[in-house]
Amino acid sequence: MEEKIKNIMSSVFEIKASKIDETTSPDTAEKWDSLNHMILVVALEEEFNVEFTGEEIVEMISYPLIKIVIKEKMENQRI
Amino acid sequence: MNTLKYSEILKVNREMGRNLSDKRYEIVVLSNIITHMLNDILEYYVKMENINAHVKSGDYDNIVQESEKFRNSNLVIIFWEIANIIDGMQYKANIMNNDEIEAALSKIKAEIDFTLTNLKDASLVLFNRFSSLIFNYKTLNVNNLDKICENLNRYLEQKKSSNIILIDTDRVIAKGGIEKSLDFRYYYSSRALYTIEFYKNYAEYIKPIILSANGKAKKAIIFDCDNTLWKGVLGEDELGSIEMSSRTRDGAIFEEVQHLALELNKKGILIGLCSKNNPQDVDEVIAHHADMKIKDEHIAIKKVNWGDKISNLKAIASELNIGLDSLVFVEDSDFEANCVREFLHQVTVLKVPKELSEYPNMLRGYLGLFYNISESKEDMVKAKMYNQQSKREQEKTKFSNLDDYLKSLDLKLTIHIDNQTIISRISQLTQKTNQFNLTTKRYTEFDIKKFMEDKKYKIFDFNVKDKFGDYGITGLCIVLVDYSNRRAEIDTFLMSCRVIGRKIDFSFSDYIIEHLKELDVELLEAKYIKSLKNEQVFNFYERIGFELINGNESEKSYRLKLSNYRPKCLEYIKVEDGRKN
Repeated sequence: MEEKIKNIMSSVFEIKASKIDETTSPDTAEKWDSLNHMILVVALEEEFNVEFTGEEIVEMISYPLIKIVIKEKMENQRI
Repeated sequence: MNTLKYSEILKVNREMGRNLSDKRYEIVVLSNIITHMLNDILEYYVKMENINAHVKSGDYDNIVQESEKFRNSNLVIIFWEIANIIDGMQYKANIMNNDEIEAALSKIKAEIDFTLTNLKDASLVLFNRFSSLIFNYKTLNVNNLDKICENLNRYLEQKKSSNIILIDTDRVIAKGGIEKSLDFRYYYSSRALYTIEFYKNYAEYIKPIILSANGKAKKAIIFDCDNTLWKGVLGEDELGSIEMSSRTRDGAIFEEVQHLALELNKKGILIGLCSKNNPQDVDEVIAHHADMKIKDEHIAIKKVNWGDKISNLKAIASELNIGLDSLVFVEDSDFEANCVREFLHQVTVLKVPKELSEYPNMLRGYLGLFYNISESKEDMVKAKMYNQQSKREQEKTKFSNLDDYLKSLDLKLTIHIDNQTIISRISQLTQKTNQFNLTTKRYTEFDIKKFMEDKKYKIFDFNVKDKFGDYGITGLCIVLVDYSNRRAEIDTFLMSCRVIGRKIDFSFSDYIIEHLKELDVELLEAKYIKSLKNEQVFNFYERIGFELINGNESEKSYRLKLSNYRPKCLEYIKVEDGRKN
């Protein structure tokens, strides 16, 4: 899962997947603006077959936070 | 169809990078909503057609000025959403009075005028029609929003120049359904409206226009005859039992297909035939069958023979003087369809669906391949011209690589001798097989049963499988053995036309002769008896290696000393001895 997230972030923000770590956020990734954030969100939704709420979308503003939200989503789906 | 995920599309686009060396096809999307997701999707879809596309967005909600800036692009696409034409139009419109509506309309029309003027010399413009569908699809009454859209669309139709094509996004939405096409989560915050699925469908929908603008529209539709233009197999079925009229269920389907082909022909698309049949049989149907709607005057080229389809399709392209990538080939057999796909990947192959009732709509779904930006009268003249030209050039080519294809098939032959369990199938094969049938002797089940009980007769049958499926019991050989004189005679040798062209006849002969050697036979005799339909096996025994003793046009006798026989030993056909199972 982490690999997939990194790959998608890499394509959207045009940074190397290997450079993505716990500190990656709009502050460190130059291309992480609101438009690309939306593109990231829809790409993640399609990849993991989930749908985020408006609130979750606003929360997902760093690599660690994205992981947490997706993990939660996937676990809730399994139940 | 394309099923790549959006994230994969992004990845592929980044990896391919932007090829600057090649000529770029610049596409600009101008819109009053956020449509950025379309950029990568459309760029990918177009690149997959070998067009070096580069898609970008103009500034948000600035269509008028941006249309001036990007007028020299190869293609301009305009998303002018009614909901954001005036902020909140989707709810404001319905409480407006007539004066307010008039005022809004004249403001928008002025903007449309500027835009159309800016783009009047642009190479190509796709302008989405205004639509209220997404807000009104459950509304029973016609409301102001509907009326405004209708009014603006009429205005566009009147004012637009011929380089502008109006796109009906309602049809794109219909493909995916309203719920899967819209996402309001980003509408109120970011003015983004459509989903990835919508944009994929949109890209697919407009792709034919881009292909046509780049000279990549298909120019000819080529049909295999049997079970693509009519129900039935010429040479196997009586002429009267061929179905292609709405009097029968299956016939109705083929009648519709023939009309779809004629619809294309009317627009200048060439119709061709490429089939394994006796040419006289096909000509007979075209000339004399009352239900046949496609006539000689519609057909630009015919390759009706027993050669392979690869060579025939190549000949068709070269004689029509168009590229292989301009051909669409309609075929009912998996074997032939896959063969063409494998070796002529430029040709678009459409396989007749297993569920026949889906055939016309399948075809209809691909009519976009033939989309022509300028459907002109000239094309109709062209269709007729080709028609005559091709009649002058009739040449044959051979495909050198058929063996490679056959190798890839995993052909498996299972041979049985005197198989009591399939007496009725054996009798049926002798009754029904006309084309690959050396002596055309018809036998009843009773006859076959008698042969099986008689030690002098050996009945070999085979079953063919390949990686695409099982063809069943499709070949037969009846041999009469004279043990005391160590001679034998082939009484019947036949194969169903479903399995010819795979060199199975060679492996089958290898097996039979090997078995006869085991029975101590030294000399094998055989006959070819001409019938109305077995022309294609006129030289069959020569190919196997028999010696011609005497003969004329209607009957030939052969002999083979088994010690002289050189087995073909085709490695790619696996032969299994049915007795050993």
